[in-house]
Amino acid sequence: MTTNNEAKGMNLTLKIWRQKDARDPGGLVEYKVENVSPEMSFLEMLDVLNEQLVAKGQDAVAFDHDCREGICGMCSLMIDGQAHGPDKAATTCQLHMRRYKDGDTITVEPFRAKAFPVVRDLVVDRSAFDRIQQAGGFVSVNTGNARDANGVLIPHETAEKAMDAAACIGCGACVAACPNASAMLFVGAKVSQYALLPQGQPEREKRALAMRAAMDEEGFGHCTNEYECEAACPKEIKVSNIARLNREYLRATLVSE
Amino acid sequence: MPAAEAPAPTAPRCNCRAVEFLESSIGKKIMVALAGLFLCVFLLTHLAGNLILFLGGPAFDRYAQMLESNPLLPLAEGGLVVLFLIHIALAVRARLANMAARPVAYQVYKGKDARTPGSSTMALTGTLVLVFIIIHVATIKFQVGGAKGPDLFGHVTGWFHNPLYAGFYVVALIGVGLHLSHGVQSAFQTLGLNHPRYTPMIKALGAAFAILIALGFLSIPVYFGFIVHAPATPPNGAAMPSGPIGGAQ
Ligand code: HEM
Ligand code: SF4
Ligand code: FES
Repeated sequence: MTTNNEAKGMNLTLKIWRQKDARDPGGLVEYKVENVSPEMSFLEMLDVLNEQLVAKGQDAVAFDHDCREGICGMCSLMIDGQAHGPDKAATTCQLHMRRYKDGDTITVEPFRAKAFPVVRDLVVDRSAFDRIQQAGGFVSVNTGNARDANGVLIPHETAEKAMDAAACIGCGACVAACPNASAMLFVGAKVSQYALLPQGQPEREKRALAMRAAMDEEGFGHCTNEYECEAACPKEIKVSNIARLNREYLRATLVSE
Repeated sequence: MPAAEAPAPTAPRCNCRAVEFLESSIGKKIMVALAGLFLCVFLLTHLAGNLILFLGGPAFDRYAQMLESNPLLPLAEGGLVVLFLIHIALAVRARLANMAARPVAYQVYKGKDARTPGSSTMALTGTLVLVFIIIHVATIKFQVGGAKGPDLFGHVTGWFHNPLYAGFYVVALIGVGLHLSHGVQSAFQTLGLNHPRYTPMIKALGAAFAILIALGFLSIPVYFGFIVHAPATPPNGAAMPSGPIGGAQ
């Protein structure tokens, strides 16, 4: 097969998980996409596939996306067995087709966990994360005048650590990549961002206990420190946040009334 | 906001904090880690005792007698059994929960190379160690089967004349090394100890501990099984003081 030098299009084989709804067992279906530009993002490549499918009167592949610039946490996908694909510190929407070459076969599956049921094709329901957040991932603040920004002093290093934890976009790649489908990196980040700051202190113990309970309630697995979550996380959330969650939970168990 | 209501909708069996802790994912892991680390301390003392085998029969038998005559031994043995039961029961429960947490497996799973040979085989090496311990305790402590030597030294080294028995020890001890290569540093992380300065040290010391324990124990079946077949009564035995402790010295 000759490729047009000017267009530099790639011909790819995609094996995509298709599943009508939560009850359908689903399975991988093979598709060909032709003339894929290396400039395209992975999601644009899926858009091209979907245009082809719709033109042929078939159902488009359902997948999640929103901002397409790595900030919203909506995109997902397990690409060739890697959450958000092969790149480090990047979401699927930030993955570009220049990563691939003509003739490649790419397998695309949904994020898999009991707590993330498949809705359709590659779309999974990640509302378990919302429920964990609702259990304690907040600070209660009285309304009224805004307080003086310099009234509460926070060491620079502490502020940086809290900001690093707060960078979590709730995408769920940590769960998807974890051999145990554990949500400890996500919950660790959410507990840490408040535990580190003075504003988080009043609800510190309540938060750790409630978020742990909500996490287990959703059916996520137990962390065995494989650290695949950290390697997969597009925001480079560190596993030191998991250690902090372990500490916070142990501390809350011991000291809270 | 009903979502933020304090008591969980599923009625807890008991209002007791300890039960909640032990039923929780994090609590279970903390107990597995604590029991695992105490078992590591046991391994160290057990290794030190066993290396006395290399000093010959009389020295080893004296050590064995000293152990057995210690009135605190049943207490220590009971504690050890409890540690094993905690470690195994909670680790198995965690493992079962983890299998349930991903009911549909990936067709392709590659990950990003964070796993290690030790971390990805914890359940396998743990089971191997369990089978090993059962065989080890049955044959050495309760002396089921094997040539009944006149002394413990003869009994132990006699078992290693069987290449199948010595070979199984070699395989199982490599399993112990693998288990610890992940387990030690993992336990510290589970206990909440992660620090930019100390974690690299903990990882290095954990790996060194795993190697020390594995090679230390391996030296015994390898030496007595495949290098020398020590006679039941070592030739130099007569020359060494062999009375009960508290005797000569
Ligand atoms: C001398 C014996 C043993 C020692 C010193 C030991 C030590 C450890 C340590 C330190 C951990 C790490 C805990 C953590 O990650 O928080 C661990 C985990 C574990 N152990 Fe053991 N263990 C022993 C025997 C066993 C046995 C007999 C079994 C099973 C039948 C077993 C199964 C497991 C499992 C399933 C885990 C959790 C796996 C994981 O966290 O990835 N272990 N062990
Ligand atoms: S910790 Fe990382 S991988 Fe997990 S939800 Fe947050 S951003 Fe995504
Ligand atoms: S679509 Fe928003 S992060 Fe990927």
